[in-house]
Amino acid sequence: MTDINPAMTETQIPTASAAAGRSLWQDAWLRLRRNKAAVTSAFVLLFIALAGVFGPWFSPHPYDRIYPQYVRAPASLEAYPKEDAIVPAFESAVARARIEMGETEVDGSTVRVPISDGEPLDPRIVRYVDRSDLFSNARIEELSDDGRSGVLAADVSRIRFIFGTDANGRDLLSRILIGIRISLAIGVLASVMALLLGVTYGAIAGYLGGRIDNVMMRVVDILYSLPFIFFVILLVVFFGRNFVLIFIAIGCTEWLDMARIVRGQTLTLKRQEFVQAAEALGVNNAGILKRHIIPNTLGPVVVFVTLLVPKAILLESLLSFLGLGVQEPLTSLGLLISEGASNMRGAAWLLIYPAVTLTAILFALNFLGDGLRDALDPKDR
Amino acid sequence: MAEDNILSVRGLHVDFETNDGVVHAVKGIDIDVKPGETVAIVGESGSGKSQTMMAMMGLLASNGRARGSARYRDKELIGLPERQLNHVRGEKITMIFQEPMTSLDPLYRIGRQIAEPLIHHRGMSRSQARARVIELLKLVGIPDPERRIDAYPHEMSGGQRQRVMIAMALANDPDMLIADEPTTALDVTIQAQILKLLAELQRKLGMAIVFITHDLGIVRRFADRVYVMRSGEVVESGETESLFASPRHSYTKMLLSAEPTGRKEPPVPDAPILLEGHNVEVVFRAGGGFFGGAELELRAVDRISLALRKGQTIGIVGESGSGKSTLGRALLRLLPSEGAIRFEARDISNADKGEMRPLRKELQLVFQDPFGSLSPRLTVGQVVTEGLLVHEPSLGARERDRRAIEALKEVGLDPVMRNRYPHEFSGGQRQRIAIARAMILKPKVVVLDEPTSALDRSVQKQIVELLRDLQKAHGLSYLFISHDLAVVRAMADYLVVMKQGKIVEEGPTEEIFDNPSHSYTQTLMAAAVDQTRFRQLDLHTG
Amino acid sequence: MFAYVLRRFVGAVPTLFIIITIAFFMIRLAPGGPFDLERPLDPLIMQNLERAYNFDKPLWQQYLIYLGNLAQGDLGPSFTRRDFSVVDLFRTGLPVSIRIGSLALSLALVIGVVLGAWAALRQNTWVDYMVVGTATFGITIPTFVIAPLLSLGFGVMMGWLPAGGWGTWKHMVLPVTTLALPQIAIIARLTRGATIEALRSNHVRTARAYGLPSHVVVGVHALRAAILPVVSYLGPAAAALLTGSVVVETIFGIPGIGRYFVQGALGRDYTLVMGTVVVIAVFVIVFNLVVDILYAWLDPRVRYD
Repeated sequence: MTDINPAMTETQIPTASAAAGRSLWQDAWLRLRRNKAAVTSAFVLLFIALAGVFGPWFSPHPYDRIYPQYVRAPASLEAYPKEDAIVPAFESAVARARIEMGETEVDGSTVRVPISDGEPLDPRIVRYVDRSDLFSNARIEELSDDGRSGVLAADVSRIRFIFGTDANGRDLLSRILIGIRISLAIGVLASVMALLLGVTYGAIAGYLGGRIDNVMMRVVDILYSLPFIFFVILLVVFFGRNFVLIFIAIGCTEWLDMARIVRGQTLTLKRQEFVQAAEALGVNNAGILKRHIIPNTLGPVVVFVTLLVPKAILLESLLSFLGLGVQEPLTSLGLLISEGASNMRGAAWLLIYPAVTLTAILFALNFLGDGLRDALDPKDR
Repeated sequence: MAEDNILSVRGLHVDFETNDGVVHAVKGIDIDVKPGETVAIVGESGSGKSQTMMAMMGLLASNGRARGSARYRDKELIGLPERQLNHVRGEKITMIFQEPMTSLDPLYRIGRQIAEPLIHHRGMSRSQARARVIELLKLVGIPDPERRIDAYPHEMSGGQRQRVMIAMALANDPDMLIADEPTTALDVTIQAQILKLLAELQRKLGMAIVFITHDLGIVRRFADRVYVMRSGEVVESGETESLFASPRHSYTKMLLSAEPTGRKEPPVPDAPILLEGHNVEVVFRAGGGFFGGAELELRAVDRISLALRKGQTIGIVGESGSGKSTLGRALLRLLPSEGAIRFEARDISNADKGEMRPLRKELQLVFQDPFGSLSPRLTVGQVVTEGLLVHEPSLGARERDRRAIEALKEVGLDPVMRNRYPHEFSGGQRQRIAIARAMILKPKVVVLDEPTSALDRSVQKQIVELLRDLQKAHGLSYLFISHDLAVVRAMADYLVVMKQGKIVEEGPTEEIFDNPSHSYTQTLMAAAVDQTRFRQLDLHTG
Repeated sequence: MFAYVLRRFVGAVPTLFIIITIAFFMIRLAPGGPFDLERPLDPLIMQNLERAYNFDKPLWQQYLIYLGNLAQGDLGPSFTRRDFSVVDLFRTGLPVSIRIGSLALSLALVIGVVLGAWAALRQNTWVDYMVVGTATFGITIPTFVIAPLLSLGFGVMMGWLPAGGWGTWKHMVLPVTTLALPQIAIIARLTRGATIEALRSNHVRTARAYGLPSHVVVGVHALRAAILPVVSYLGPAAAALLTGSVVVETIFGIPGIGRYFVQGALGRDYTLVMGTVVVIAVFVIVFNLVVDILYAWLDPRVRYD
């Protein structure tokens, strides 16, 4: 449908934007922006990534801090200890002083109770309260002139665990945040690793072609038939569970697809007439690679990388789930899910929150990848 | 009057919903077909000629909508439920398509596919149908039909597959056969055979044929009446003879005069030889890879000698697979070859990439497909000036830009558009860009590899004229590779006819056109240039 | 045909050999050993053990011994389950894994193809959106999330099905579902894409232009083309499903062979790990071959050579 009106418009296309062309990248960008699922995913992803990167610094609880008194505390917006736990504890502490007590009030992180006694109050009664783990800085306020009545006040340290705590009494939110950080870092680093390996290998094989290509692809074929995930497991089991090893191992398993894609692209491109045209102009190999091959492989590669990141995250999570990932007290989403699964009777939140987080990340990445593919490869138009 | 028509289309509209809004592909057209007549619908790509028929047959893509009326005898086809439409299509009206390679299901034997309409419309049993299929295959000239009935489509050539499609179309003795560019994808000699077959079958069986085509040569030889379509409208219609004799609409006039005209004068006799090949040979090897397998040898170019003089245009003619493009590339040293190649008396037979690089400035190449030959992620300006980066690296950006403007002006493009990207241009404009890319280097020899065959006729003519003007202005020598004899005749002063890697005939263009000596050349000429109507031809011969 | 199968099997030998070699040396060169217990063993006992298992010989000799035994179908004794040979373990575990895996595979194939074709025929309707949405869900959520959630929901909270264990058909429901879900999703997506492409193809247009009834157009001409990519996918998928899933078997406590690899690797049970590698590699090779034959049978353009 390009030559709709050939005789008249052959040399003049509509001049509305004659001077500034729209490159394929700009076209793709416009298409991507129209895709609501992809845009939403991008924002979700950005939010989760920011939470993973900066969240642990702002979180009130270090991810490895253990609160022995709050083991498996359920998720709650209210701060711990809860009011109905503070009052009895406070009252029983005060009761030991054997004095008259009024109504106990909890106000934020302070507890107050009016007290009175037949004789002047002994300031040492505050020790009864201080002795409890919950309270600190107990004091008598508003002491009446005769010293027989006043208000006994104490500070309670109240802590919020929005997502609850785990079986060791660690804040789940902080652990999820650090888990996001680890999972995303491994996902991205492994993908970069696969990208570098795959693009280099694939481009070399495809561009050189012939016998070298034959041998290189035969190697890839053989590697393909190896149960690679098992080699990752072996590597991790035998050589220790450290962060660097994990992402290298995952990167090493995921580069094969990338190599194939890039090689396929390079081969097709090499046969394209615009590459032959450049050869006919006398452009050297470096120029052809730089101006003609690489810019045109970028599209599929970008798409593939967005789909690679969730794969790498998944693989890392699987390793962690099997107990072969990062080591305590560091954690990752897979490890959290695994702990959640073993604690799901009675502490379902331990499973649900990490599972939801991981699913959200994977979903967002997949939608973004699909959106990018549609935007960069508009076959359906 | 209207009662006589087996098909009458009235006010037919076809719309497509796309991401960029509704595209109005057919804008209220009227067409009539009488029993037994041949009607041609002519138009260039995008004129809506195919979509008209697709709409009628209920074959529009899912985003297409048809409005208006198309009656087959008394049956309204537009909006007819699929179940009832199925009593018409395949039984009363049948269709053959442009793409013989993909129109048959690759997973089933051809016999079964031809039998399907027989079984579903006539209620034949499989064995009855098989007998009829063999009969049909015989009718369309498939040799050894008893055996070929069990062939798979991929085991047949393009021409044979189109014959199979025709057999399928004739299976139920239809009233009307719609042929949608049935020969466009085929070589000229095969084209002629298929057209002749259709004409014969029509004479024998008497069905009406609606012929959708862009090729006026076919129309003139084949059709009783013609509808000329442009941008979704019928601009003119009438009897073939009178329409060709006195076209009224300017678009029809333009189409009729679109065949390239004029002849190329030969260069002065003592013009120096620029590019010369002696016993050039190109052999492709397949197989023989890592794990054995017999090595296949394909001799694409078989000991060809050729000398191109300054200011000369040699036309190289042949069908697909004749090795003409391979020869062009071998002469430019873009493919490894045997034999001697000399440029300006310098032997370049064994020149490597580095040694060839300075010469690339003098030896340029223009490709067939203007959609594939421009790098999609570079601006037109970058595309055009790429050669300058290699051959005149000292030029500054401003000077390169000036040269780009100059080159684009020379090929008739507005230089303002040099910041745009190739995908924003039409086929003809892209071919101009490709020519500018070659011309900016001021070459001496340009190999033109089918530069016009992907373009509509009217655009072809403009490109041919541009190429001739450029040749005159710069004293260029061309190697013009084409399967289109009309274009070659207008471009070349010397002709080389190739078949299966060999030269079968060569000589000054007009001599060969007037008096082709080799039988293959004669077939080519007859297929392409003969303006006799098929029916008259048949009357004489049959 | 027979020659082709034979040639493919012969061709598979080097691949198998490479896999075994890499696995063998990787395992052996890794730190740690099967007898590294918390409390060190008496050196004398250690020496006897090492002699009994040929660990005192040079590694290359052990490798040759292993290959020799393997050729006779002997995978050696298990180090962590002292009373069993590796072959014994597979003899009891493999049928369990195959049973669950083949059920999941059949389920996935039927549901996936039906859903995918249905969505393709109703493209851009609510059916299509629902299938595509569900498929994205199924592909995205990993098994190790689905499995505990199913176990939590149907086993612990509602109590309809056992949350784990092995015995009756009820025990199979959740693990089979877990295994099938992602496969259903992938197969549905593949089928949908391929069917849409087939429906747009020229030969389907021909079938419609000749007035063939729609069940013939879809059933005969579109679906056969659409099933081809599903068939190619089935090879690796079948091999993976039938050899057990470590996640599913761990969460539901199923005595299959999926757990052997990780357990074996953690316990330095050399022979068990090697055995698992061999079994999986054989499955992969066999199923790829089966798929290639099936493909050639479905598509006449493919030749056996």
